[in-house]
Amino acid sequence: MTSVRRWAGVWRGGVYLLVSLLSGIVTVLALPVLCVPRLARPWADRHRDRAGRLLGLPTASRSAPRAAHRLAGAGPSTGRDLLWLPVHAVIGVAIGLPALLCVGNVVTGVVVTTLWWAFAPEDRPRPFVDVPVTGWATALTLGPLQILLLLALAYVCFPPMARAHARICLAVLSRSTAEQLADRVAVLTRTRADVLDAHGAELRRIERDLHDGTQARLVAIAMRLAVARQALSDDPRDERFLEELLRDAHEGTEEAMTELRGVISTVYPPILADRGLAGALTAVTARCGVPTRLSIGDIDRVPAAVEAVVYFAVAEALTNVVKHSRATTAAVRVSRTAGRLSVVVTDDGTGGADDRRGTGLAGIRGRVLALDGLVDIDSPAGGPTTITMELPCGS
Amino acid sequence: MRVVIAEDNVLLSTGLELLLHRAGFEIAAIAGDAAAFLTAVRDHRPDVTIVDVRLPPSFRDEGIRAALQARRESPGLPVLVLSQYVEQQYAAELLSTAVGGVGYLLKDRVSRVDEFIDALRRVAGGGTAMDPEVIAQLVQRVGDPIAALTPREREVLALMAQGHDNDTIAGRLVITDNAVHKHIGNIFAKLGLAVSDSGHRRVLAVLTYLSAVG
Repeated sequence: MTSVRRWAGVWRGGVYLLVSLLSGIVTVLALPVLCVPRLARPWADRHRDRAGRLLGLPTASRSAPRAAHRLAGAGPSTGRDLLWLPVHAVIGVAIGLPALLCVGNVVTGVVVTTLWWAFAPEDRPRPFVDVPVTGWATALTLGPLQILLLLALAYVCFPPMARAHARICLAVLSRSTAEQLADRVAVLTRTRADVLDAHGAELRRIERDLHDGTQARLVAIAMRLAVARQALSDDPRDERFLEELLRDAHEGTEEAMTELRGVISTVYPPILADRGLAGALTAVTARCGVPTRLSIGDIDRVPAAVEAVVYFAVAEALTNVVKHSRATTAAVRVSRTAGRLSVVVTDDGTGGADDRRGTGLAGIRGRVLALDGLVDIDSPAGGPTTITMELPCGS
Repeated sequence: MRVVIAEDNVLLSTGLELLLHRAGFEIAAIAGDAAAFLTAVRDHRPDVTIVDVRLPPSFRDEGIRAALQARRESPGLPVLVLSQYVEQQYAAELLSTAVGGVGYLLKDRVSRVDEFIDALRRVAGGGTAMDPEVIAQLVQRVGDPIAALTPREREVLALMAQGHDNDTIAGRLVITDNAVHKHIGNIFAKLGLAVSDSGHRRVLAVLTYLSAVG
């Protein structure tokens, strides 16, 4: 089993080395063109991915720095990509060429063993660099011997050579701690600005709702009651007018209460305050028109802002499920690993959800991104739809 | 009729006291938290209780839990829960303790004094008083089967689920008792429910249906 795996590694390493040789040569030939940063970057990205895959690094750690970097704009890594070009040209060829020789001579060995007689005597293949094949006896001993020795060489050398190349690639391409920190700061600065913007917009909305709605209603009620008091002391009293004033004031208070309840529930849903995230999500999923399974692990304490975002996002996602997906079942999974809360909403509907259409998904994205979270919407036409959210939630 | 109130907000408890007193109720005790409420229920054996969902110390759902606890200690104790917002989940929990009157209303409803007093009496008499918003949440969730009902049948269903009897439904919708009876028969047939007698059991059947289907 292990030797099968090892051979698989040898094969992968060999392919990697030969491709590196080829791309090294391409790099040399196309050096002037590749020096354009816009071309150097995808070229370097490709190789970074390849190297990462060979070394078995998780996808996230390969792509995440890039994603973060994109947010930060062009930075020192362009210089890195350019520096990497000659390095790759040299080591790609230097490490790839022996691999090609090795593979090429295995092929020669096969030819020596089986087809040596097909060549004219003076053009016969010469195994072991320059040992002549004189007949079946030499062919059947030297050919297989050459193949075996080279395969042994490949068995021992290919994987470490490939890994060495990959490591050098990544070492040149990956950014220093300082650069990574700079990127992180850039990302955080941006998301922090987003949070402040979102927070500001939220405060203005609440102010407007209270000012234009509840406050205006209270003023109207107070005026009616004041007029009613005057009318009461009038002589003679107009009972019908009084009745009308009091009825209006009464209805006004009811409308004010309804409005206030609406404002409160958009600020911080009361059920969250009562029951925490698990209880609130239980209520949301129970209320959903499509049967929805909720699985929520032990998520411990989560900051109120994160709770509210998760609550609104799940409620919005489930509203979409009911309205658009034609799903028969849905599921909400919430889990926490270290400092991150992960929320996945899936349904078995027809898919095709797109956050450029409609405000629901864009709203989810906006809320989650504002807290430095990630949103992934996977909804191919024909379904199913999976919305994945990840939010930092302290530690 | 003797009432025990669990309400920590003095503005609201004095308002309730005023309103209930005028309607002829006797206020046996006003408790400021869950523990005091449970003690008051044990001491005074009230005919009906009014409980705010949020009570000290944490102002979360102590009221619901206190109501459920009180009903465990005194089976059949009528409880009317008041809240600034309604959550179908809480209604389901209250209804799960099947014996005795249960009410769950928005605080807003108190200002419609006659309706509020009517609801309180219904609960005291072992009936049900569910806020229209709870019913709206439940109905919205059920979807398809409800769509098969006519608009009039939906109105009847909502009033029935709130806990009203046939007379009240007839009065509210300005139709005859006979018409109400026919509508109810149709509703039960369309929803596939066994026709039960009027009153609490009927409400429970409808509410159970609304919270179970989905």
